[in-house]
Amino acid sequence: MAKGDHLGEFEHIVLVAVLRLGSGTYGAAIRREIEARTRRSLTVGALYRTLDRLEAKGYVRSWAGDPTPERGGRSKRHFEVRPLGVKTLRASREAIAAMWDGLEPEVTRGS
Amino acid sequence: MARELPLWLRALVRITSPTARDAEVGDIVEEYVEGGASPLWVCRQLLSVAGRRGARGDVRGHAAPLASQIAADVRYALRTFRRHPGFAAAAIAPIALGVGLNAGVFSILDAVALQPVPSPDGDELVSVYQDFRGVKERRIHGARQMFSVPEYRVYRDRTRTLSGLAAFTRYWTVTLGGDAPREIGGALVTCNYFEVVRIRPALGPGFTAANCEAPDAPPAVVVTHALWTSALGSDRDIVGKTIVLNGRRVGVAGVAPEGFGGIDVAQVSFFAPVSMQAVLRPEERFHLDPHTSWLTLVGRRQPGTTIAQVRAELGVIAGEIDRQWPGRTTTVLVEPARSLSIPVARRDVFRLAAVVAAAFGLILLVACANVANLLLARAAVRQKEIAVRLSLGAARGRLIRQLLTESLLIAAAGTIAGSFLARWSFQALLALLVSLAPGQIPVLRLDAGLNLHVFAFAIAMTVVASLVFGLAPALHASRLDIQTLLNRDSAGAGRAATGWLRGSLVGVQAAVCAILMIAAALLFRAAYVTETLDPGFAYRDVAVMSFDLRGAGVEPARAAAVRNALIDRVRALPGVELVAEAGRAPLTPGDTQTMVRRADDERWQEIDFNAVSSEFFGVVRIPITRGRTFRTTELEGPARAVILTENTAARLWPGEAPIGRTLQMAIDNNRSTTLEVVGVAADAQVARIADTRHLYMYLPAGRDSSAGRALLVRSAAEAAALARPIAAAARDLAPGLVVSVAPLERNLDLWRGISRAIAGLSGALSVLALVLATIGIYGVVSFVVSRRLREMGIRMTLGAGLGDVRRLIARQTLRPVAIGLAVGVAGAAAGSRVLGSVLFGVSPLDPWSFAGATILLLAIALAASLVPMRVLAALPPAAVLRRE
Repeated sequence: MAKGDHLGEFEHIVLVAVLRLGSGTYGAAIRREIEARTRRSLTVGALYRTLDRLEAKGYVRSWAGDPTPERGGRSKRHFEVRPLGVKTLRASREAIAAMWDGLEPEVTRGS
Repeated sequence: MARELPLWLRALVRITSPTARDAEVGDIVEEYVEGGASPLWVCRQLLSVAGRRGARGDVRGHAAPLASQIAADVRYALRTFRRHPGFAAAAIAPIALGVGLNAGVFSILDAVALQPVPSPDGDELVSVYQDFRGVKERRIHGARQMFSVPEYRVYRDRTRTLSGLAAFTRYWTVTLGGDAPREIGGALVTCNYFEVVRIRPALGPGFTAANCEAPDAPPAVVVTHALWTSALGSDRDIVGKTIVLNGRRVGVAGVAPEGFGGIDVAQVSFFAPVSMQAVLRPEERFHLDPHTSWLTLVGRRQPGTTIAQVRAELGVIAGEIDRQWPGRTTTVLVEPARSLSIPVARRDVFRLAAVVAAAFGLILLVACANVANLLLARAAVRQKEIAVRLSLGAARGRLIRQLLTESLLIAAAGTIAGSFLARWSFQALLALLVSLAPGQIPVLRLDAGLNLHVFAFAIAMTVVASLVFGLAPALHASRLDIQTLLNRDSAGAGRAATGWLRGSLVGVQAAVCAILMIAAALLFRAAYVTETLDPGFAYRDVAVMSFDLRGAGVEPARAAAVRNALIDRVRALPGVELVAEAGRAPLTPGDTQTMVRRADDERWQEIDFNAVSSEFFGVVRIPITRGRTFRTTELEGPARAVILTENTAARLWPGEAPIGRTLQMAIDNNRSTTLEVVGVAADAQVARIADTRHLYMYLPAGRDSSAGRALLVRSAAEAAALARPIAAAARDLAPGLVVSVAPLERNLDLWRGISRAIAGLSGALSVLALVLATIGIYGVVSFVVSRRLREMGIRMTLGAGLGDVRRLIARQTLRPVAIGLAVGVAGAAAGSRVLGSVLFGVSPLDPWSFAGATILLLAIALAASLVPMRVLAALPPAAVLRRE
């Protein structure tokens, strides 16, 4: 895998979250999904920074939605995972799985 | 679940929005509105997205990168604070203290002198006063700048720039009759008063034309909600019933809405039409007199009219009034209406506030110097980091901005903590002010607290403070030379360069500390003087009886008889030795002054006086050293005889016998009366504490006045024990008469209280300054010692003794302290005169206070610098060398 294709841990998490929520999900939903599943709090700024990076690498694409009153007239930014993102995610997962192969029982026992 | 953003959060969102992206701010707002996030969470999130507009794609001008840099700086600074909580606390606490105390002072000033009065659209209201020249005849009930009824009517009828013009008097004390008579305060107002201030009575119609226009209108009052609940049993049918004021039945025309006690800072219990002047003060009739100053005017500007237009129009009307009185020129003073509007009182309050603010400002200065020192020390530690960043290409401006962001954040945190402190310090200061105010004071309306004015003031102070303590270290830290910094080891880094800055900061602290400590020392000396002084008259075993026959509705014609009967009854009480009459008891706050001149001298001189009966000198044991006391015949009719104090006699007729000589005393501007000196009394501090320099005379107490007057009772019995029989005697003679009986010593206590309170406050301030300055000096010395350990180790290895090394460091660190002290002493000498009025005889240049404070400060500075030097003695030279 070339260096540019590498996915960091947080990038991985964010990409999976967008994938789970399906096409057209938006920032707040992604953040809630990650917070609920990983039980860690994250800042809006950090999330969007990562989303920006994923978009630059061509893994996700985004588009602006319509303004809504509960957001003080601000629009949403919707996201969906592009085929390249799915491919990279799969590669990343396989790489990690390969590393874990055979090691899993030992770690689980220790916990 | 949906909820609104609170105002301050909305403001924060609005500030952040231009630098952030819509979608991201929208997510945050949505989480608050629908998800129930906490305001703190919103703040954190806003910080995380601030400055991201322009981070790819949507750049808007050049503002975005700057904003994003600032956001990054803030994030960086917050991280630093989290990593060094001790540093953050040490920096924030002094600022919080300084800003909090100053904002507290300001909140009081703001409430009395800057806020609009409590009235709908209160900023449309203006207060009107006048200044005149060439006026021969003027009687004053309140302040000279007030108006008479005829003058008021002219302005009211002619003005076009004001939609309404009302008039009101200052606080009048009257007796509310009933089962338990008591004194309450009221204001006389014109009938349109409630209309102009747009306050509608909660009950009843208020004043009608019938109450006001007719000269013999039935007396009526509007009572306040507070009086209605406390004294009238919240009777909903009160309107139309009567209450007793000064022995007269008065109809109730209405109840003011809850919380309204007039637009003046002194809150009243009732409002009466100005035509009731003669009902409440029957011995004087000035209701329609054109030459009596007793009314403050308050007007409402027509929509779209400026104050300048009002001023111009009223000025023209004043000119027309002047034409009736040749020689008179009037200047009309029009200002936005404030709770404290009388020009003289405003001037006094601003002066007092200036002195207090100066003292508190000095504390803030010491705090700033401490924080600056702390930042300098940190900058020295961070020199390597800064050097690395500079060498990697960081711009100096960028570094300065980052360091300033840190100090701004320290200041901001200090301001928030300080604002809470302000609330508390406001309460404490208010209690102090009330304890300083002489005599009984009316309830004051002070809704001081955290409002936008106070907050803006605190923020302004924050910005100034952070610039003061942040800019110098920031500029300095960024001016470093990269090459030398990266190369040299930490020993001695920045020694010469930071030395002068560090030194001058310590110098400033020492100077401020010296000023505050000298002030405190002077005030403590003054407090000691008032505690221990002998006022020159006997105040023990003397009770002061004060009463106001008008309050009981006693006719002026009968007043003398009632008073004499009361004196006889009191004289007959068991234990009473002697009873004397006096216009005012010794050391009663306030002045009674008039002008006198020698018969052969054109020069008029100001003189304090008291009107007393012949027993007065016996009751307070002031010996008559020459001549005699008053004869009974001299007590009747207008004053013909006078008794001077020794000092006054010596000043008027130096080296000559005063008995039998005559004085001219001014009655009004063009009449005077002749007084013959019949006696000379020993000097005593009867007018004010520790002051016998003013001229002073005793006049015979005439028997024809019905005005309030004190009786002095010398008795072996306690004042408290006398109160009951005296009250009983008073009730027999005049039902409804309120008599207060208090020991004369209380008047002395009042002065002691003032002195004690001021000394306490300044003592607390100077201790605070001392603690801050000690920390500052200690910090600097220990920093210098730790930085130069290696050099000292070398010196000691080469044979220098411990004493030599100590002296070297002490010389270097204490020089700025000594210079600061000298500046401080000079400053104190120049400024201590402002304390003159509360020093009670202690000279503003009292050498003991100056020397004591200076020596104490020097000793503490020495001790603070010796402690960090202990490390030198504890370590053998070899270890010192190894440590670096």
